[in-house]
Amino acid sequence: MSSEPVRTRRVFFREAICRAVGETLDAEPNAIVMGQDVGAFGGSYKEFYGLFERFGPARVRDTPVAEAAMVGLGVGAAAAGLRTLVSITYMDFVLLALDPLVNYAAKARFKTGGQIRVPMVVKLTAGAKGQGVAHSQSLESWLMSVPGLRVVAPSNVADAYGLMRSALQADGPVVYVDHKRLFPTSGPLNASAHEVPFGLAAVSRPGRHATIVTHSYMVCVALAACDELAVSGIDCEVIDLRSLAPLDLATVCTSVSKTGALLTLEEGQVVCGIGAEIAYQAQARLGPVRVSRLGAMPAPVSSNPVLEAASLPDAGRVADAVRRLLMEG
Amino acid sequence: MTASSDIDALAAMILARELESALSKRADCGFQLLSSGQEAVAVGVAAALLAHDQLLCSGRSIAPALARGLDPGRVMAELIGRASGPCLGRGGRGHLSQPSAGFFGAHAVVAGNLSIAAGVALALQARRDRSIAVCMFGDGACGAGALHETMNIAALWQLPLLLVCDNNLYSVSTPRAAALAPQRLSDLAAPFGIEACTVDGMDVRVVREAAVELTDYVRNGGGPAFLECISRRYASHSTSARETRGQQELAADRELDPITRLENALLSEGALSAQTAQALREQVRAKVAAACAFADLSPLPVPEEAFADVV
Repeated sequence: MSSEPVRTRRVFFREAICRAVGETLDAEPNAIVMGQDVGAFGGSYKEFYGLFERFGPARVRDTPVAEAAMVGLGVGAAAAGLRTLVSITYMDFVLLALDPLVNYAAKARFKTGGQIRVPMVVKLTAGAKGQGVAHSQSLESWLMSVPGLRVVAPSNVADAYGLMRSALQADGPVVYVDHKRLFPTSGPLNASAHEVPFGLAAVSRPGRHATIVTHSYMVCVALAACDELAVSGIDCEVIDLRSLAPLDLATVCTSVSKTGALLTLEEGQVVCGIGAEIAYQAQARLGPVRVSRLGAMPAPVSSNPVLEAASLPDAGRVADAVRRLLMEG
Repeated sequence: MTASSDIDALAAMILARELESALSKRADCGFQLLSSGQEAVAVGVAAALLAHDQLLCSGRSIAPALARGLDPGRVMAELIGRASGPCLGRGGRGHLSQPSAGFFGAHAVVAGNLSIAAGVALALQARRDRSIAVCMFGDGACGAGALHETMNIAALWQLPLLLVCDNNLYSVSTPRAAALAPQRLSDLAAPFGIEACTVDGMDVRVVREAAVELTDYVRNGGGPAFLECISRRYASHSTSARETRGQQELAADRELDPITRLENALLSEGALSAQTAQALREQVRAKVAAACAFADLSPLPVPEEAFADVV
């Protein structure tokens, strides 16, 4: 057995993030964290808890409510020699900061002929959890099409740590997307420092009959759907993308060529979504396969629990989508 | 200031004017944002900077880049998309940059470089070497929220940042009065407790004096400062924008020419002879001719360069 129980500890999702950020602040005197309530408050989800006390207000900086300037400062400081992590609690509000992120950070290295690099992480929290139309969106697909941006989205504790480590070592801008419903989760985390590389998906559950390709919290939903399907003898494989830009199409295609059926699942919209991209790319490589995509309904996500649930994929809908997909064959 | 610094300023302004004039006459000029008329702001501000300072600006970047000391040949190469430009011809118009020369550079999104400059200032502050960031932007940027967000944080964190509003009185065709409510744009800095003043941006000595005073203030830990320079642009907003101003207004603006103004002042003060002035112009023209020759010899990038340095 390669596992070493002594060196692996069960931690909360927030602790995994905090550990990766703390290790970076320890190792790199030029690294700083900026954002609303990241200081003494410790982050909206306590994901920066204790860092303010350890590293002080100059390196763990509370900012005013000004997303555009927060990200702009993070970009400029990174471009001029610091390593920055800018935290925006709700992914919805990155829309206020798209100019420095998309027009400057993503293009700086290219447009300056490699003179300027922007080692910055923008950490965003996606997903719906009862907070309404402007605090619930999953907009990853908007960002993964921007040349120059890397986009990662962990679904579990180990990847939350490993992807944050990679993001904080990258020499260009990385958008790190976590999820409100992942913060209460816990899982095993190896005590040694390690990274999860960009562009490497994981097989969360092996299976034979269909492939579900998803990421972030929807991995949990997909796994719940798999349990439901297993009762009726349907055995699904779940691919956790982990990295949305770059995408690991090799892992997706290996699975789909085995199962012959592909369901893409995302919490965001399906129009121009991640599933649309995966479905096209997989078929471009494999030829025609049975394919279906599932995501949020084309409507705003309400804070009303009945309406929120109606607009988003859940395990039952995923299981139904798999059954329909397999019936097509 | 010494007579030699005045003559340097004159030469720097003539260089920007002549280089843009040569650029405008080229068949491959393409889309450009010209600084003609506004040279005194760039040259006066650049005169106050030290080697480790960083200058950022809007897309109207030719005079700022040259004033900061970038090589005219490489600037010309960048402007016409040649591989010998500091950005290898990829940034070109509106995105000139050479941080190693203290020119962090242009960003052609109006108000887009303000918070970036504050971030550069934050990185410089961490170095504790008294270097500062300076960001030039047009009056058009003063209507954007980015300025207010940036001033607030810069004031809170006492960032070593000088904001220079090069107010040429128009946002493309919209007169400043139709776009911006404040009487003076430097008034925008007041609520944040930011040291600010408004000066005649057509007089390079006035700009330089104010810039020296404010860069000293910023450099000595005073926090951010705001300098508004009232200027005139002699060309339309860009080489592809229609001119909307009347002949009378343009002629009146020409009367304020910062180059003629300094040259006449130096002649009348006896600091410059007509002969020396003529020699200076000829030197600058030779430099511009050499810059054009350098750019002409530089190759266009190969198409594969379109995909380099992306991630």
